[in-house]
Amino acid sequence: MARIIGGIGTSHVPTIGVAYDKGKQTDPAWAPLFDGYKPVAAWLAEHKPDALVFFYNDHATSFFFDLYPTFALGIGESFEVADEGAGKRPLPPLRGDLDLQIHIAESLVNDEFDIATFQDRPIDHGCASPLPLMWPHDPDWPGTVVPIAINVLQFPLPTARRCYKLGQAVKRAIESYPVDLKVVVVGTGGLSHQVHGERTGFNDEEWDREFLDLFENDPMRLTRLTHADYIRRGGAESVEQIMWLAMRGALEGPIRSIHQNYYLATTTAMTVALYEPVEPLYQDAEKLSVAAQ
Amino acid sequence: MNPQLEGIEDLAGTYVFDLRTSHRALKLNRFLWRMIGADAREDFLADEEAAMKKAGLSETEMALVFARDWLGLIKHGASFFVMEKFARVARQTNLEVYAIMRGETFDEFMATRRVPECR
Repeated sequence: MARIIGGIGTSHVPTIGVAYDKGKQTDPAWAPLFDGYKPVAAWLAEHKPDALVFFYNDHATSFFFDLYPTFALGIGESFEVADEGAGKRPLPPLRGDLDLQIHIAESLVNDEFDIATFQDRPIDHGCASPLPLMWPHDPDWPGTVVPIAINVLQFPLPTARRCYKLGQAVKRAIESYPVDLKVVVVGTGGLSHQVHGERTGFNDEEWDREFLDLFENDPMRLTRLTHADYIRRGGAESVEQIMWLAMRGALEGPIRSIHQNYYLATTTAMTVALYEPVEPLYQDAEKLSVAAQ
Repeated sequence: MNPQLEGIEDLAGTYVFDLRTSHRALKLNRFLWRMIGADAREDFLADEEAAMKKAGLSETEMALVFARDWLGLIKHGASFFVMEKFARVARQTNLEVYAIMRGETFDEFMATRRVPECR
């Protein structure tokens, strides 16, 4: 059976991709960001997951507002990295595991989580900005990606609680996949930032720290916040942090933070965080009682 | 009113992009969105006015695009995320667009940032 071995929360700022492509990894202004991904890359190299399930958002690249899905799962053996106005990026196409993607789609829909699917669409910085910082890709990616796009652009957005439930449903889907795969779930976006209107440039580090603490220790409180709460506390576009809650739902139960890096340089609090699920205590107790019998 | 957005109207300098806005400004947003295609970029750069007329933009919208009036476009109903695709064609970085939306010069805006060299 497939199993989830960890979770990653990461910003997906497009400028990270630009800096990456320009080779700014050791530039003093950028090094604190790139260095923050090294422990995540090392963990992935050590644990060698077969697939990364990416809860990310499309920035009106794969989809336009004439048909903008609330939740959409990518089906395909490869996905081009999108041209978003500045030309193609020097990255190989993302690799996909068709059987796994289709199983997740079937499991979600049969579980009454009626997700849309897409094929043959390029994927933008929502997924492709942080990915190369964590996963080596020369000449090709070491594993496959299951892209799950969430609408965080055009209101009504799914609620924070609905995103958490999506994660729970994806966990059930993964754990019912009859192939012995190691899966890591990734939630992208945030943390605090606003990039439109006169309130552009808003940040709140105190809220960001509180979010990270609640995310690990009391995620249900985050699922009860409204979109307006997120916008007020973290800036309009930080509402996309509800995608971290999808990742948290897939890691349901206690988790342990392995690594965290926070770098608020210009407009977005660029953050990466790595988590491992903690075996619930009662399971240990059950094992002990079985052993005692 | 969407209950998830209750209280948002009290937040100055923030413009909700919901289905009402999206429906009203669909042509403008589609025009901005198309800038992810090399053909649309070439058409626009060859003849701005012809490209905008072909896309069905109103006089007001054409004036906003001509002026690269980023805040005006947002207030009119543009989604930032398609507007930034047009900003690439207009040869402006997101940081430059942010400064303009705040009503500041680029240097003034960057002076408010923790690591102004991070660009």
